[in-house]
Amino acid sequence: MKQTLPLIIVFAFGFFVIIAFFVPLRAFQSASQTFETWYTGVLAFFVFIGIFNIVKVNVNKIQRRVSDWQYSIILLLFLILMMGAGFIGGSDGGLFNYLFEHMQIPLGATMFSLLAFFVASAAFRAFRARTPEATLLLIAAVIVMIGRVPIGYYIWRGFPSVVEWIMNVPNTAAKRGILFGADLGLISMALRVLLGIERSYMGRGGE
Amino acid sequence: MNILDRISSIDRRIIFLLVALAVIIPLLVPLGLPVDVSKPVRDVYDTIDSLPEKAIVVVSCDYDPGSEAELTPATVAILEHCFRKNLRVYLMGLWAPGPELGNLALEAVAPKYERVYGVDYVNVGYRPGGPVMLVSLGRNVADLVRADHAGVPIDSFPLGRAVKSARDIDLVVTLSAGDPGVLHWIIYFSARYGTRIAAATTAIMAPQQYPYLSSGQLVGLLGGLKGAAEYETLVEMTGRATAGMDSQSIVHVLLVIFIIIGNIILLYEKRRR
Repeated sequence: MKQTLPLIIVFAFGFFVIIAFFVPLRAFQSASQTFETWYTGVLAFFVFIGIFNIVKVNVNKIQRRVSDWQYSIILLLFLILMMGAGFIGGSDGGLFNYLFEHMQIPLGATMFSLLAFFVASAAFRAFRARTPEATLLLIAAVIVMIGRVPIGYYIWRGFPSVVEWIMNVPNTAAKRGILFGADLGLISMALRVLLGIERSYMGRGGE
Repeated sequence: MNILDRISSIDRRIIFLLVALAVIIPLLVPLGLPVDVSKPVRDVYDTIDSLPEKAIVVVSCDYDPGSEAELTPATVAILEHCFRKNLRVYLMGLWAPGPELGNLALEAVAPKYERVYGVDYVNVGYRPGGPVMLVSLGRNVADLVRADHAGVPIDSFPLGRAVKSARDIDLVVTLSAGDPGVLHWIIYFSARYGTRIAAATTAIMAPQQYPYLSSGQLVGLLGGLKGAAEYETLVEMTGRATAGMDSQSIVHVLLVIFIIIGNIILLYEKRRR
């Protein structure tokens, strides 16, 4: 029953929503809409599962004194602080907004901007023309990097047009191929899940 | 040890220092490089410009603080254009921090044009659920959106009452940093309800959107900070994106120099072996 019930739910609801997409009857559409609304309601529980999981993992880290366990204390403290600020003052509240604007935004931007330094280091050490394919990729990358910024336009007015051609022709062709492959894989995986062939989503109970 | 051997074993902190200088110096001493406008950006501008007064534009802030530097300038430039054209803005987000970031942009732009909250613009906050939510939203907005981001009933606002389904939306502009984002708007909203979609994405995501541009599923695209700078040029404003273009130019040139040096070292090592 532990395995059968989830399989029945997935099969019934999954195929119903697919059928409702093709059958324009009001009853089907109405039921499908109800299921979609339920789904967004169920999602709210994921937040609780996420919070429970993050607390459990980090408390465990602190208890076992694994490497960098001190960061887990900071994470938990700020989790409580942000939640407290949100519960007391609301998401429009002064403290919540202050923490969001003056801590979360700059910290997020800082983390992301560090990429520029690592990309520069990687460009120097790893971006090398070892094979003809790599050379082709490298030439295209250099053209796009220069042509995508104003200095490229300043050097030669034709640079942006060459970049647009690279984006519109070779890039689009390759992306379409990848998309077709990925989408066919997605369809087959979805059918495997709906038919109960693929059960890994149920965790160890599905094995 | 010759010069190429020395360069190949260079301390990476020197590379970091050079990148930092390439970012900071052009910010302090702007070069004022000209910004050309690409077709995908002009297409977004032309689409918004062709909308009639009071048309409803959904601005979906599908990003977080990590992409704020790239996408907030695009949000601001698009809001400038919308309010200048007297369009109504229905702001939301598929990412939890997105609508809060969008709200900061709204607070910066709306007062300049004396736009009224609830009448000319509204922020309905974070909408969880990704693809399923978008399908449901297009069919019946009231099922999902019952209050704005501050918890005020959406029916108390004229703009809240005006948006009932996808049919009431003239254009969706998604500011997208990943999933859920632009792809979901195209597949689950535009394909099903026929609503036009324009996008502003991070630079790293922009090449992935070209198949949708060429198929017409996206009306236009602002790629990264450069796309935002192009839009700022079109709406004749000097914002953060334009200010960042000189830095980005110099850093890109520096990266190309690094790549060239790296490959000269590779050739030298091959020959020596």
